[in-house]
Amino acid sequence: MSNQDQDNLTDHEYDGIREYDNKLPIWWLATFIGTVIFAFIYWLHYEFAGGPDLQAELKIEMEQLQEKTGGHGHDHGTAVAVSEEELLKLMTSADTVSNGKLAFTGKCASCHGDQLQGLIGPNLVDEYWIHGKGSLSEIHTVVSQGVPEKGMPAWGAMLKEDEIKSIVAYIGSQKGSNPANPKAPQGEKVVNN
Amino acid sequence: MSQVDNNPKNFEEIYYDDDIVKKFILATMVFAGVAFLAGLMAALQLAYWPMNMNMEWLTFGRLRPLHTNAAIFAFAGNAIFAGIYHSTQRLLKARMFSDSLSKIHFWGWQLIIVAAAITLPLGYSQAKEYAELEWPIDIAIAVIWVVFAINFFGTLWKRREKHMYVALWFYIATIITVAVLHIVNSIEIPVSLFKSYPVYAGIQDALVQWWYGHNAVAFFLTTPFLGLMYYYLPKAANRPVYSYRLSIIHFWALVFIYIWAGPHHLLYTALPEWAQTLGMVFSVMLWAPSWGGMINGLLTLKGAWHTLRTDPIIKFFVAALTFYGMATFEGPLLSIKTVSGLAHYTDWIVGHVHGGALGWNGFLTFAMFYYLVPRLWNTKLYSEKLANIHFWIGFLGVMGYYVSMVAAGITQGLMWRAIGADGKLIYPDFVETVTKIIPLYWARAFSGTLFIIGFAVMAYNIYKTIKAAPASQPVAVKVTSNMKVQETSTETHRALEGAATTFSVLTLLAVLVGSVIEIYPTLSLHKYVPKDVQTVPYSQLELAGRDIYIREGCYVCHSQQIRPMAAEVLRYGKPSTVADSMYDRPFQWGSKRTGPDLARVGKKYPDFWHFRHMIDPRATTPNSIMPAYPWLERHKIDFVSLRKKLSVMQNLGVPYTDEEVANADIQAEKDAKKVAAELKAQGAPDNLHDKEIVALIAYLQSMGQKEKKK
Ligand code: HEC
Ligand code: HEC
Repeated sequence: MSNQDQDNLTDHEYDGIREYDNKLPIWWLATFIGTVIFAFIYWLHYEFAGGPDLQAELKIEMEQLQEKTGGHGHDHGTAVAVSEEELLKLMTSADTVSNGKLAFTGKCASCHGDQLQGLIGPNLVDEYWIHGKGSLSEIHTVVSQGVPEKGMPAWGAMLKEDEIKSIVAYIGSQKGSNPANPKAPQGEKVVNN
Repeated sequence: MSQVDNNPKNFEEIYYDDDIVKKFILATMVFAGVAFLAGLMAALQLAYWPMNMNMEWLTFGRLRPLHTNAAIFAFAGNAIFAGIYHSTQRLLKARMFSDSLSKIHFWGWQLIIVAAAITLPLGYSQAKEYAELEWPIDIAIAVIWVVFAINFFGTLWKRREKHMYVALWFYIATIITVAVLHIVNSIEIPVSLFKSYPVYAGIQDALVQWWYGHNAVAFFLTTPFLGLMYYYLPKAANRPVYSYRLSIIHFWALVFIYIWAGPHHLLYTALPEWAQTLGMVFSVMLWAPSWGGMINGLLTLKGAWHTLRTDPIIKFFVAALTFYGMATFEGPLLSIKTVSGLAHYTDWIVGHVHGGALGWNGFLTFAMFYYLVPRLWNTKLYSEKLANIHFWIGFLGVMGYYVSMVAAGITQGLMWRAIGADGKLIYPDFVETVTKIIPLYWARAFSGTLFIIGFAVMAYNIYKTIKAAPASQPVAVKVTSNMKVQETSTETHRALEGAATTFSVLTLLAVLVGSVIEIYPTLSLHKYVPKDVQTVPYSQLELAGRDIYIREGCYVCHSQQIRPMAAEVLRYGKPSTVADSMYDRPFQWGSKRTGPDLARVGKKYPDFWHFRHMIDPRATTPNSIMPAYPWLERHKIDFVSLRKKLSVMQNLGVPYTDEEVANADIQAEKDAKKVAAELKAQGAPDNLHDKEIVALIAYLQSMGQKEKKK
């Protein structure tokens, strides 16, 4: 023990434990005072000096997002019109259809069955349609915009446009596949489509 | 005072009660094993869900509360009591106030633990983190805590050492504050023997719960352990404490500031923003006061650093203090709004608490026990080598745990918020963000196993030590009292250390200031609800379903609080409001998103989707790690209790009409038939009309659907 240490020793003694009375480390004190000053300024800024509240911050974020999507709404899917021809053409691409199948199995099969036979959602390969008459562009619209109140999600907000198109192409390619255990028909029968 | 009084007339021969200390040590060892194994099992379930063996009692939602409660109250609790009973007697030169109270405290506490271990797996839970235990057990905890308090303050009263050493200050703060926290957070109205509703709702409940939850960490896992450190470290190192002045400043700063910091668990929520801001800034100010404890500990070893190489006890102390320093630096960091935005709800927080729990509380307890056991049993430690082995395995375990969970948390946080150039979420499928971190869950489970192996080595070491110990007799110690000596110090704090009552009252005041300022305004919740918004209370069936959600502990994996951030709005819908949860007793905002937020899951899926998902999540979501709940299809809904439940809710101010209360069960049965018929039409089995799954689905479908514009 150095002398310096001895000088600092208090006369306290508890069950053999002694205490020095060393000075507070200066960097520690500076940190403490620094955080207190920061806290005070931060508090003043947000509570009195008009710092943005959470809703204001969100609004800015959402506007930036809006710019990215080019002004389209996001929670109801982008309703980009797609031509029937384009989708029909995609149906002939084996790559697109197999990509579509993969995506369908991951995102849609839980509700429409892995053979598209219908389960929670309707059968997608029979002749009955709730929305539209079963054209590819109509399917594209339903898939993008969804039917949220009936439990069909709006996929436009979640999937990339290419992915949606490939899924639609896959659905089209399965038309008339007559899977086992089909779900009972829902919607209107469409003849001669 | 340090001068030894050599006048034989002034000696007294007394006996310390070491028996009670031994009891608490053994109980700590037993329950540490239980807590650690429950933790390991929970960890394995996240890596591989079938580890719950498909038993409802062991599903993650019930097991995690068992683990956290066992770790905090059984392991840390018993360890604290062991250390406090041992050191207090010596610091005060007095035997504990009453042996009977000591025994009641010990056995009462163990009974509470056993009651917890039985009721939590059975699903009797209030679904508030670290406050899950139901009301009869809450009362028992309050009673036993008061017994402990009387015993402790009684000992203070009959002390022979006038001045209280810093360790005792921390014990006083612990005993007073934990009592306040526990009692205020547990004000609840019983519905039946094992079911109650809290008097607080929504944002109130959230604020009170996290005021409690955060300060359980502060005053159950920090202050008592700092007190223990202040006694056992200088003892083990045989060195004077570094700075008395630092002790004073960091003690008062900690006690005063800590209590305000609770709302940092609620940043970006519907909690009024002034409270969030206070929570954040006070957390930032906690950094230095927390480090004061670490510095005072580590610098006490100045001049004794060589013992770090030779003495396993010092190794454990140094590691414990270092982990404490890490955790208390990380805490303020995580409280900064933007950091919380990334880290909240992720596994980073789990990593953070385990750095504290395993590294600080665990290692400090181990250090203390390696010091205490040979002394209490009057022998030598069986093997220093094994203690060193324990240290290194345990150290690897903590580090591995921490690193894997922080990595998992940052991964989750970044994936959840990732938005592509097209303005869409890059990972819209939540389960993608889950499967990504499964390897890290395995790494965590492996690290936890290392920690447990280290602990087993210690248990063996202690067992061998005790077994080889000679039968020991209590030894009398000679003590002199300086109570009658006049206070000579002119320093105020020194004088205060001799005035136990004043000291305790000041401590109480220090913790009350922040508590009252934060909690009081939110008690009038209605002033935070916009005038033009009306929230419809849960229907009878939905309430029944909500109680199933509570029983199953869904809140340990699911939040119900959408934050005002673009990525959350894209993923979950509009941010949660005060009105959304204004009738929620208890609030179920949650603190971790192992699964997605559910605040607005209502009407997102058809009923039948939920049916299939609850019975087997993999049926709708391949690779899900959510447990299956097949028993919900078998258990019947408890319709009978609904009348009582509604009437309690009505008394608490939920606007149910008398008729709704009187017909609660009948109405619920009707509603259940409707849901069951709808389910059947969609393809579900027959006869679900009185099954729990129907009530749960009704609740899930109501979430986020309750707001009406006036
Ligand atoms: C959560 C369950 C669910 C998921 C997942 C789901 N759907 Fe649906 N889907 C439904 C429901 C329910 C309907 C019926 C909506 C109605 O009744 O209006 C539906 C309807 C449809 C329709 C219109 C059918 C008709 O008869 O008009 C199409 C097309 C469709 N879904 C495609 C998809 C595709 C493609 C995916 C995957 C990207 C998908 N669905 C995923 C539940 C789901
Ligand atoms: C071990 C953690 C865990 C527990 C416990 C748990 N879940 Fe989940 N939950 C998940 C995960 C992971 C997902 C995402 C994958 C999936 O859909 O299964 C999820 C998804 C969900 C979803 C779908 C949400 C959506 O928007 O797609 C619902 C609803 C749900 N859980 C309800 C519950 C209920 C009710 C309970 C309690 C009875 C519960 N969960 C317990 C982990 C958990």
